[in-house]
Amino acid sequence: MNVLRAAWLVALKDLQLELRTKEILTSTGLFAVLVVTLGSLAFYTDPVSSPNVAPGVLWISILFCGILLIGRSWALERENDAVFGLLMSPIPRASIYVGKTVSALALLFTIELLLVPLCMVFFQIEPRGILFPLLALVFLGSIGFVSTATLFSAVGIRTRARDLMLSVLVFPLVAPALLASAVATRELFAGATTTEILGWMRILTAFDLLFVAFGVWVSRYLLSET
Amino acid sequence: MKLDFEEVGVTDLGKSYGPTLALAGVDLRFTAGTVTVIRGANGSGKSTLLWLLALLAHPTKGAIRYGRYGVAHADDLRGRIGFVAHQLQLYPGLSGRENLVLAAKLQGISYANERAEALGEALGVGEYWDRPIRTYSRGQAQRVSIARALLHEPRLLLMDEPATGLDVKSTDSFVGLIEQEKQRGAIVVVVTHEAKFANAVGDRILQMERGRIVEPAP
Repeated sequence: MNVLRAAWLVALKDLQLELRTKEILTSTGLFAVLVVTLGSLAFYTDPVSSPNVAPGVLWISILFCGILLIGRSWALERENDAVFGLLMSPIPRASIYVGKTVSALALLFTIELLLVPLCMVFFQIEPRGILFPLLALVFLGSIGFVSTATLFSAVGIRTRARDLMLSVLVFPLVAPALLASAVATRELFAGATTTEILGWMRILTAFDLLFVAFGVWVSRYLLSET
Repeated sequence: MKLDFEEVGVTDLGKSYGPTLALAGVDLRFTAGTVTVIRGANGSGKSTLLWLLALLAHPTKGAIRYGRYGVAHADDLRGRIGFVAHQLQLYPGLSGRENLVLAAKLQGISYANERAEALGEALGVGEYWDRPIRTYSRGQAQRVSIARALLHEPRLLLMDEPATGLDVKSTDSFVGLIEQEKQRGAIVVVVTHEAKFANAVGDRILQMERGRIVEPAP
C-alpha cells in the first residue's frame, strides 16, 4: 500500500474518532478561546497598541492549543496499545506519521478558523484586507509546528518523559518558524500589505517543507523499534 | 508484494532492554501447520520472543528468517503475520466493526467490509458489533482482537495469552479455530500460562526460563 493511501486511512480514523467524541476539539478549542479572552482582558489595549499585543496572544494560544491537541491525539494511540495495531499493518512507517500530522492539522485548522476572527474582534483589528493573508499565515505557521510536534509525539509513544520531551525539544526546534509567524502577523496587523509579508510566507513555506520532509524521512526509523 | 514462507527460524536470538536481559540466545524453528505453545514464568522472555517474531522490536543479537526472507522485508512480511497481543490493540472509541474494517483496509484487503463481517460472525461478536469497544467486556474485546489477527489469513499467527477473558464455551470454539488455522497451513505460536489450554492446542510445548528454552532441552 502506498504512503498516501495508508496515511489517508490513519487520518480518517482519527477524524472519525473525533467526530464521535468531539473530545479534542472541545477541550483544546475552549482552552484556545480562553487564552485569547484572557489576553484581551489582561492587556489593556486600544486600537493603537492592540496590533502589537494581538500577534503574541494569538500565537501563544495556537501553540498551547496545538501541543494539547497533539498530545491528546497520541494518547488515543497509547490507550490499549492501539498504535501497535497500526504498526502491525504492512504499511510504510511514514504513513502513520503523515496520517497523524494531517488529522492534527485538520483539527487545529478548525480551531484556528474560530480563533482568528475572535482575536480580531477582541483586539479591535479591522479584518478588511488582512483576514485571508492572516489565515494563510496561521496555516503556514501551523504546518511546521504540527509536523515537528507530531514527530516527537511519535517517539514519545514509549517514553515516560514524553511531555517534557515535547516542551524541551519541540519548542526550540520550531522557534524560528514561530518567530517568523509572529513577526509577519504583527506586520500585517500594523498595516503591511500581502505583498510586503510575502517574504515571511516564503520563509514559512521553506520551514514547512523542511520539517515535513525530515519527519517523513526519520519516522520510518523512529517508528520501527519498540 | 505478497511474500510467503513455510518456516520461521530464529538463531541465537537475544534481546536486552538496557541492563535487563529479556532473551538470552534462543534457537528455534516453527513450521507450517504446527502449533507451538510456549510456557514459562512472568519475565521469562515469552512475550519478548513474540514481539521480535511480530517485527515490533529489533533483536539485540541473532537473526530471524521467514523462509528465505529476513527483516529487511519487514513491511511486506507484516502482511503475513497476525498478532493477538496481551493488550487488545483496538481503538476503544471505535466499534468492533470499525476496528476490523480499518485493520482490513490497512492490510490492503479489497473486500474489507465483507471480510470483517464474516469474521465477526464466525467469532460471534454480532450482537455487540456496532457498539464502541470501550463498552465490551474483556472476553468480547478479546474476540475482536482475535478476529483482527485472522483477517488477512496470516501465515504466522502469534498469540499472547489469547484465552484471557474467554468463557469456557468461547475457549472451546477458539481451540477449534486454532485447529482450523493449523489445517490451513498457518504457523501458530501461542504463549499461555493455562496448562489445559496448552495441552488442547499444542503440537509441541516449550518451557522458557530466564530468556532461554529449557524444555525440551536444546
